[in-house]
Amino acid sequence: MTRLFRLKRNRELAFVWALLIPALIIYLFYRVIPLLWNVVLSFSFWAPGKPLEFAGLYHYEEMVFFDDGFWIALKNTGVFMLATPVAISLALALALLVDQKIRGRNIYRTLIFLPYPMMVVAVGIVWRWLYNDSVGLINYGLRTFGIISEPIAFLESYRFAMISVMAAAIWQIVGFFMIIILTGLQNIPPHLHEAALIDGARAHHRFWRITLPLLRPSLFLCVILGVIASFTSFDLIYTMTGGGPGRETELLITYIYKASFTLSQFDYAAAMTVVMFALFLTLATIANRLSGGDAGKVDITD
Amino acid sequence: MATVEFRNLVKRYGSVEVVHGINLSINDGEFLVLVGPSGCGKSTSLRMLAGLEDVTAGEILIGEAEVNEVEPRDRDIAMVFQDYALYPHMSVYDNMAFSLLYRKTPKAEIRERVMETAEILGLTPLLDRRPKQLSGGQRQRVAMGRAIVRKPQVFLFDEPLSNLDAKLRASMRLEIKKLHRSLGVTTVYVTHDQIEAMTLADRVVVMNGGNIDQIGSPEEVYHAPRTLFVAGFIGSPTMNLLPARSNGNSTLSVAGQTLNVASRFTPPDEDRDLVFGIRPEDITLSAEDASGSEIEGLIDVVEALGPDTLVFVNVGEQHLIARVNPDIHPVTGQPVRLNFNIEKSHLFDARSGEALS
Repeated sequence: MTRLFRLKRNRELAFVWALLIPALIIYLFYRVIPLLWNVVLSFSFWAPGKPLEFAGLYHYEEMVFFDDGFWIALKNTGVFMLATPVAISLALALALLVDQKIRGRNIYRTLIFLPYPMMVVAVGIVWRWLYNDSVGLINYGLRTFGIISEPIAFLESYRFAMISVMAAAIWQIVGFFMIIILTGLQNIPPHLHEAALIDGARAHHRFWRITLPLLRPSLFLCVILGVIASFTSFDLIYTMTGGGPGRETELLITYIYKASFTLSQFDYAAAMTVVMFALFLTLATIANRLSGGDAGKVDITD
Repeated sequence: MATVEFRNLVKRYGSVEVVHGINLSINDGEFLVLVGPSGCGKSTSLRMLAGLEDVTAGEILIGEAEVNEVEPRDRDIAMVFQDYALYPHMSVYDNMAFSLLYRKTPKAEIRERVMETAEILGLTPLLDRRPKQLSGGQRQRVAMGRAIVRKPQVFLFDEPLSNLDAKLRASMRLEIKKLHRSLGVTTVYVTHDQIEAMTLADRVVVMNGGNIDQIGSPEEVYHAPRTLFVAGFIGSPTMNLLPARSNGNSTLSVAGQTLNVASRFTPPDEDRDLVFGIRPEDITLSAEDASGSEIEGLIDVVEALGPDTLVFVNVGEQHLIARVNPDIHPVTGQPVRLNFNIEKSHLFDARSGEALS
């Protein structure tokens, strides 16, 4: 043992592992084992208290060929994902604004960022109240300005439920995206803009040819975070609509939750989780590829 | 090519004035260097000329036209920045072509001009590379290429060599000089490095605290500094500046000794604080017992640089530097006598800093 620690390299390595192991143990029990158990479960018949039986692709066939609920949830998740490009465009515009030398820009930055760290359940409840047809502020405003004559029950309406939920999701995440983009903007050396100014590029040329290309890593980081958010926005949907009306706002994540904890179909839910995981991995990989493999990178000096 | 003129140029940031109404007229095709310590207003003046900073008061003229309100892109200038400011996401070719893109230059001509410029600067094999794949010297060259390709009226350089190592700096200095000779474009070059100023400039403008202290050829600012500041700033090691008093009969009291300066200048009669200046190379050392030497001191440190040797001498409270022949081998701690070449000495008023000679 003492021999082993004689080499400096080994001592350093031992120290590194000593620091890593506590985190790795937690990671193993809360991430790796459940994930593997989930994969096993997806190929099995199992219910709490029952023995595990091999099911092959049974659940996957069920999901693909017989469960239209899954397809609706998948489609809704795709629609919900469209909130990401909207949020990113909005965040880019806001970031460009608060990057200007305007009075009180730190106040604007803080105000726009503020919704992000708020608890999602609280955000859901506040927005549910805002959308309410009898006491909601939005209906009150629309009626006051004479835009509508009858109150709209946004979250109970097939027409507006999804878009209303997406608006809330955008409102919450836009500040976070703005901060990411702002960091990217501030990492662009000011001399580049000055050089372009002298080179004769007008404001829109500078935006398309200098700012946007150099923001690419930041923008793709937002894309990936947005994709993650749309797969995991359980709390917002659950507090605002619970997936309704009907299945109008049912996302994969809420559908999986219902399958496991309402209907106790843990094995079937596990199969859907595996599919969701695969989809997410694919999208994130594509986004990272498109960004040139450096999503989130802010160092552009060298 | 064009002339450039500053008329009572002032820059103020809020209540802080950083450039105090400077006047400067630059000839067509001239290489003018603005030199001074950081914060002297040289970069601000250059940026006003480029149009990157607003002019608070006064006028800037390029050619015959006042350009105070003219956008940078319409001033027909090109600028090389200290950190090169290359577009990191574009190839060397695109970096150089960028400025022609927005000037309605036909594609074929852009290509021709970029290729021609790349040839001049030896960048042809690097045209497809990105800036981060280049060495510091190569990046510097691309930055210059980007400026040259435009064929502007005026070149502006903002401390372009500061980020390079000493060896590369010397060779780039040479290239810039050759380039200017072959292109003949009016050039305004900002630096805090007096060697760059001395070697590159047709005329040097020494700035100090937002004012111009002296405008002149490198020889003039070196041999006839108009102020104490210029005397101390230009030259390395710096000029020895010693407090002095006039004795009234063409002699000065310097470092407790009496110096006869009649051959060079007539010191003022009245009793006021003066500064006597002498460059290190205008001091010679002689052994203690040699006659005729005027100032006596102790050798503190000896630095043998090769081509010459610097000798640091303590004379009472004063510290002097002499630059001597390397064949002389002074010994630390030994007493020496210093001979000043009075013909090359300088005298300044301590209060105003103005030269009296």
